[in-house]
Amino acid sequence: MGVTDVLTALESSHLADRIRISLYLFPLLESFHVLGLATVFGTIAIIDLRLLGLASTRRPFTRIASDVLKWTWAAFALTATTGFLMFITNADVYYHNFFFRSKMALLALAGLNMLIFELTAGRSVHAWDKDRSAPRAARAAAVLSLVVWITIIFMGRWIGFTTSHSQAKPDTDINLEDIFPK
Amino acid sequence: MIPFTQWLSQTSISLAIQTNEWVIPTIQSIHIVAIGVVLTSVFMMDLRVLGWAGRDQSLRETTARFGPWLSGALCVLLTTGLLMVIGEPARELLSFSFWLKMFLVAVGTLIATSFQIALKRNEQRWEESIAKRRTIKVAAVLTFLIWIGIVILGRFIAYDHVWGSWSLVPKA
Repeated sequence: MGVTDVLTALESSHLADRIRISLYLFPLLESFHVLGLATVFGTIAIIDLRLLGLASTRRPFTRIASDVLKWTWAAFALTATTGFLMFITNADVYYHNFFFRSKMALLALAGLNMLIFELTAGRSVHAWDKDRSAPRAARAAAVLSLVVWITIIFMGRWIGFTTSHSQAKPDTDINLEDIFPK
Repeated sequence: MIPFTQWLSQTSISLAIQTNEWVIPTIQSIHIVAIGVVLTSVFMMDLRVLGWAGRDQSLRETTARFGPWLSGALCVLLTTGLLMVIGEPARELLSFSFWLKMFLVAVGTLIATSFQIALKRNEQRWEESIAKRRTIKVAAVLTFLIWIGIVILGRFIAYDHVWGSWSLVPKA
């Protein structure tokens, strides 16, 4: 089974069809995608600014990380799930979209950056946990992380502008008037 | 409102935004980055009130950390939001979601401001007792829900037809 078969299978799935014909599902998926990515970016920024010595400098790094990172992962799960559900409604178009591909590559880069941080500066965290700013390698990872995540947000917005929306026609679903008559 | 949107869409600044394809997505992207800062700042302050994060920090320390970022990012949101209204007046001003969103932004900002003022006035009592009250914890949850609603309504500006006859988009 090649990539094209997978894309076709996703696109013709019952789930993809259900999302496409609904008036509300796609906009709701987009909304929760924004909520998720806003939390991912915001919580990662708290970590990065701490590493750079620009905010929360009086709190130990590990304490901030344990406060914040569980929410980052929960929000990431929400963002990835909603992203996948949007993807299957128009899989072939997204798959061939330049901005979608760039965004996926940058997500991989963000993951790699995090992994390298964990394996290098992260290993010696107890030596600099309470310092105002982290060692140089960790500060470099923080700058890269901020730049990459902001670029990911820009790429995401551009995907919406360069792919045709799988937007439903206004009359295919329940009309709000039927629920709340004027 | 319709004549106003028509006038606004013919101003030179609006035309400048409309004629350069990259301007609107750029403004929207900056808007989303700022949403990340606002949402997370509110979230961290609410979590502190609920006692789910930052327990080693006082309320005062928590608002000192996140309050300025909240106000700064709100200014970015107002500026980029205003530019979007100027660039696409009919899309924004003739949308039910937009006006409901603006109402909730006013409520959310009012809550955040009054919380910070009240905390400054009565710091000790807030730390010792007020923040432990159930009503304050409920208010923290509600505040976060308001900001979630604001983000959802922001996205729904692009889909105003979901409001049926409540939509302000002129019928064709």
